[in-house]
Amino acid sequence: MRRHAPQMLREFRAPDESGAEARAWSVVQAAYAARDPAVRSRPHRRLALVPVLAVIAAGLVLSPAGARVGRLITKALGVRHAAPMLSSLPAPGRLLVSGPGGTWTAAADGSLRHLGSWSQASWSPHGLYEAVVSSDRLAAVDPQGNIRWAVTRPAVSDPTWFSPSGYRVAYLSAGTLRVIAGDGTADHLLATHVAPVPPAWRPGEALGPFEVAYVTDAGRIVVRDGDTGNVAWTASAPTKPRQLVWSGDGRRLVVRTTRDVRTYDGGGDLVATLRVAASAAALSPDGRSLALVVNRDQVLVGGRQLFAGTGIRGVSWSPDGDWLLVDWPAADQWVFVRAAGAPRVAAVSRIAQQFSPGGSVRAFPQLEGWCCTVQGSSG
Amino acid sequence: MSISGEPVAAADSLVIGGELGRRRPRRPRSEQALIRGVLAGSEADLEALFRRYWPRAYRAAFLIVHDHAAAEDIAQEAFLAAVRRLDRFDRRRQFGPWLSTIVVNRAIDWIRARSARRETAGDPVAESPSPPDPPIGRYSQEVLNALASLSPEHRAVIVMRYLLEYSPGEIARALELPRGTVNSRLRRGLDALESRLGEFDPR
Repeated sequence: MRRHAPQMLREFRAPDESGAEARAWSVVQAAYAARDPAVRSRPHRRLALVPVLAVIAAGLVLSPAGARVGRLITKALGVRHAAPMLSSLPAPGRLLVSGPGGTWTAAADGSLRHLGSWSQASWSPHGLYEAVVSSDRLAAVDPQGNIRWAVTRPAVSDPTWFSPSGYRVAYLSAGTLRVIAGDGTADHLLATHVAPVPPAWRPGEALGPFEVAYVTDAGRIVVRDGDTGNVAWTASAPTKPRQLVWSGDGRRLVVRTTRDVRTYDGGGDLVATLRVAASAAALSPDGRSLALVVNRDQVLVGGRQLFAGTGIRGVSWSPDGDWLLVDWPAADQWVFVRAAGAPRVAAVSRIAQQFSPGGSVRAFPQLEGWCCTVQGSSG
Repeated sequence: MSISGEPVAAADSLVIGGELGRRRPRRPRSEQALIRGVLAGSEADLEALFRRYWPRAYRAAFLIVHDHAAAEDIAQEAFLAAVRRLDRFDRRRQFGPWLSTIVVNRAIDWIRARSARRETAGDPVAESPSPPDPPIGRYSQEVLNALASLSPEHRAVIVMRYLLEYSPGEIARALELPRGTVNSRLRRGLDALESRLGEFDPR
């Protein structure tokens, strides 16, 4: 038998190997076609290409046709002329990032601060604190990374602050939904049989009511009071919800499912369905614009293609709503795309390296939010 | 260690030559020659390098993460990362093991990140929009089921040893683990794997 397992492993074939190979080759080929100048052999020709590619990159936000051309050029290779280091943000605010190197904040001037070896984090509504988790621990830390309070619970994930006051934090723990006060007291169980979808607080008044939306194991959407447990409404979706996003005024709940994007009004009635299989969604701070990542290769805002490139993961709005940060692991880049005013694109490369200094594992970090949007959604 | 057991792409192994267009076999170009070609701007050499190493990279990633979309991303990103750094690559080393190390480390990291987010493989909600395609090939589903019982770290050493054909010493260096840890993970992993595969043993 000892000879059998290795033989079986050698005969193993993964699903859709030829399809995966063809897709990957198209990306690698495109990346090579616009590779880094250091790899090129004819520098004079390279210099001639630079302005052309820059124009194409700018064209990404000019028109759908421009986006299609740009897509060919930027397939997983990244925006040309990306800055090698994060030196500033194009809009006010701070970024919150988690990855193998722990949790970090990035200030508007590009300075980074390591908050600790946490695996997930979220901003408090005004950016005064961060809720962070690591394995079996939930904590609130200040911007310097000092722990203000902490609780131990099994399998903690997805901490989410109530907005606008931050008086409550909802989080998942081993298939349950729990709520704790913003000062670390009154931790209590709110629901069991909860799916691993981040809960979403309904924005409201500072002192409540504190209503939170979550998804059950069976895929049902539930909105209930975080203190009393009273159910406000429930709704079912034909396909599994993956993300919940409240509008800033709390009058709409956007539910991204595996097949579409649904909008419910404050009473739980379905008011709109967008039949698109998005992999991430983020509402602008004013709640008027919905950014979607579709097919992991394009960012749509209001139906308009704003950016394209293979392997996009998520998007996050700047606090002023003027910029979108596109989270692009395949290119190891963050791309800032102006969503308002004249089109502009700015990119930063080597993101994995910048947030894993000295670590043996370099992986693209998770963008947790751009402080201080009301929702803080980063897809 | 042999890492180049994959069939070389047809375009790389055959040429059409001579007045009659006779096919004659051409010796596959060496890895060093391909890398030199890639650095000099040859897309054909890049494709040859890609075709040579992609299947194992994708299989290795899939066997560790058990998610074909993630495996595709991991292998693709690893290859792109390797090509980006090719000008700094020490050509005395072999490209395949270097790429495999990137793939395996990224796959382990993906598992850890997913675990942190509690999106386990059995979760009915967190997975891909459509049901994952089953693996094909003799025993493939059985191998996948058996590997599912192992931790990511055990999966990684098993995959590196028996799919990628690393020696235990090479695994230790690639994963920055003590040799004894690798040996014990191999032993325990293989024992667990074979006891489960025994249930499917057709003999």
